[in-house]
Amino acid sequence: MADHADLPETVTLTIDGQQVTVPKGTSILHAAEQAGTQVPHYCYHAGLSAPAMCRLCLVEVEKAPKLLPSCVTQVAEGQVVHTQSDKSLTMRRGVLEFYLHNHPLDCPICDQSGECKLQDYAHEEGRPHGRVREPKRVFGRDDFGGDVLFYGDRCVMCTRCVRFMNEVEQDPRLAVVERGDRSIIDTFFDEGLEGTNFHGNVVDICPVGALLSKDFLFKQRAWDLSHTDSVCPNCSQGCNIELHTRDNLVQRLRPRPNLDVNGHWMCDEGRLDYEWINRGGRLEVPLVRDGKEFHATDWKEALVGLVRELGAGPVRALVSPRLSNEDLGAARALVDQLGGGDLVYRSRRAPEELVLKGFPKLARRRDLAPNVNGADLLGMSRVGDNDGTGGLEGLASHDGIVLVVGDDLEDQPPTFGKEAALYVFLGTHSSEAASHAHFTLPLTTFAEQEGTFTNHENRVQRFWSGLPAPGAARPAWLILWALLAEHTGQTQPTRPEEAFVTVSEFGDVTYETLGKQGVIVTPPTRQEPAGAIGD
Amino acid sequence: MSPKEPMDTPFHNPGWAGNTGEFDLTEDQVRGDDFVGSRPLAGAHPSSSASYPYVLVDKHPESPLFEGPYRERFDKILTRYPDTRAALLPVLNLAQEVRGHVSPETMDRVGELLDLEPAYVRGVVTFYTMYNKRPVGRFLIQVCTNISCNLCGADEVMDAFLRYSNTEPGETSEDGDFTVIEAECLAGCGFPTCVQINSRYYENVKAGDIPSLCERLRADGK
Ligand code: SF4
Ligand code: SF4
Repeated sequence: MADHADLPETVTLTIDGQQVTVPKGTSILHAAEQAGTQVPHYCYHAGLSAPAMCRLCLVEVEKAPKLLPSCVTQVAEGQVVHTQSDKSLTMRRGVLEFYLHNHPLDCPICDQSGECKLQDYAHEEGRPHGRVREPKRVFGRDDFGGDVLFYGDRCVMCTRCVRFMNEVEQDPRLAVVERGDRSIIDTFFDEGLEGTNFHGNVVDICPVGALLSKDFLFKQRAWDLSHTDSVCPNCSQGCNIELHTRDNLVQRLRPRPNLDVNGHWMCDEGRLDYEWINRGGRLEVPLVRDGKEFHATDWKEALVGLVRELGAGPVRALVSPRLSNEDLGAARALVDQLGGGDLVYRSRRAPEELVLKGFPKLARRRDLAPNVNGADLLGMSRVGDNDGTGGLEGLASHDGIVLVVGDDLEDQPPTFGKEAALYVFLGTHSSEAASHAHFTLPLTTFAEQEGTFTNHENRVQRFWSGLPAPGAARPAWLILWALLAEHTGQTQPTRPEEAFVTVSEFGDVTYETLGKQGVIVTPPTRQEPAGAIGD
Repeated sequence: MSPKEPMDTPFHNPGWAGNTGEFDLTEDQVRGDDFVGSRPLAGAHPSSSASYPYVLVDKHPESPLFEGPYRERFDKILTRYPDTRAALLPVLNLAQEVRGHVSPETMDRVGELLDLEPAYVRGVVTFYTMYNKRPVGRFLIQVCTNISCNLCGADEVMDAFLRYSNTEPGETSEDGDFTVIEAECLAGCGFPTCVQINSRYYENVKAGDIPSLCERLRADGK
């Protein structure tokens, strides 16, 4: 892409005996990363300014009179850096001893344990025994409001949280108060962090257990959690996240860096809105209605029975913007196969965007579902109001084929689909409005399947499956393509990447080209309402 | 030059840097007592308008921030700095001059005046020891207990002040006159023990001088 003249100049240097070539202006810390060495650090964070104040990333550079902070020192041609020399290690051991001087050493009851940088560094490079005989100073803990709890004694004064609120959230509610060993992070007396929309990130970036999430407090041990790369399902921004799961439940969501979408951050609403993924009472087996009774059956019987009923006829389909592109593509293919018809969706819409001022690419978007743009791109139209309800008058009393995929119809009356010649309901949960469905088929949530979402700027991003599907639940695309296979007698996609490439709107994009960062497929067709700052 | 007779000071000690008798100066002249109160209330030239404290006022914790001549000084302070963040320290000085101490409400108000987050203002105020975070008495007595003074009896001086005012360190005496605190080096190491009372230095202070010193403070008001 870039013109050759624009190519950044490079610098070659030696780090721990290894030659690396990096662009000019790179910090030693980043260059060392490329050479395979992690230099310990607290205050430096890739998404924040670097004050070089924690004194932990000091490394020995030949010909420099003293150790240099690697987070802000730029590489120079021919530099020889030793991150593991005696001098560097002794220094780090000393600095770490100071960090532990007033630390309460309460790892057994600390949520950060297992993902704590103080623990890691002290274990790797610290002294095996403490030499402190003096009493430690004690702060206790403080409720910062919102989702954040502060354990003052564990703080290492890296000021990441303060800088996050200053630079990224741009609502500087946190400050270092007092001085010397009485320094502590605090808000303005009782003000707290309430009312800010991105403060949950300070918990993520706190390298130790000083800032903890109330939601996650004492819930799980960090080392017990499985991490799955995913995409936040709570708005059309599509923040890259990790699902942290255990016991077949999502325990928390954490942002995953993607500088094109969410930087290192995510919003609080999205972060804390995950309980719906864990909601019990799921549909687990295909149900076939016989008069008023529902019979549990297996997939084969259900699908064969369903295909038998699938005459061509006027189809009206309701899908959901929480479905993946693969699901939506399969729904459209089925409707087309049956002679075409309306495909509509409903979506909740927030009154306004919540923009992250210091990283305006990221905003909690108005559409509170991950794949509204995907549905639009596939030619589906939005009905209903801003609460994601209503708008189904025609569909509810349609007398042809009614297909409902992924919308739980919670606002609809029990008479929904009463007139339908064939009413097929695919969902995660049954509802009153599904009581007339001839076939009720169990769906997986996004957390239980692999797929892609199309975010507000038409960036298609992959997510992976982090939970086992309950019972016989299947992804919608798999069910719908199986139906089509049965109906047409031709082989159809059986893997998500195959289902993905059937969608012509995505051109020649494949799962391979999407990678972990996603690809913008076409410029967005819908303009987001004004109010976004910057780009 | 033959040493002159020691000057007739109101009491033998505390001395002051000039009381060896070598100079023909009165204590008030040496202490620079003249300047106190002689600056125009509006603070003269912007370069000096922030300095503390040129003006003795009746401090009141709820005095408005800022009115009349203080508003003029505040405006002048702002002219000296590229942005309001830089003007924070002198404005806090001014606020303390008017109100006697920097309360949470004061921090909030100063933040409002300068368009700064109150949390940031709090961080700054708590960093500097010369902002009083709590109300203090009419006389804020800061006894240096750092090394030189300590070797020359600072602890006894401290004790004597506490006994006279019948308080604990940091408390204000019942009559509202005295608050006694320890200070780190006041840079008067040549004249230990050094005590700062409001804005004035008292050197060579001995424990025995405290009662007469305090009486004089009460009587003269300075
Ligand atoms: S609370 Fe955490 S992020 Fe904030 S300064 Fe302390 S250690 Fe750093
Ligand atoms: S901005 Fe949207 S996608 Fe990002 S975390 Fe919030 S709800 Fe999720």
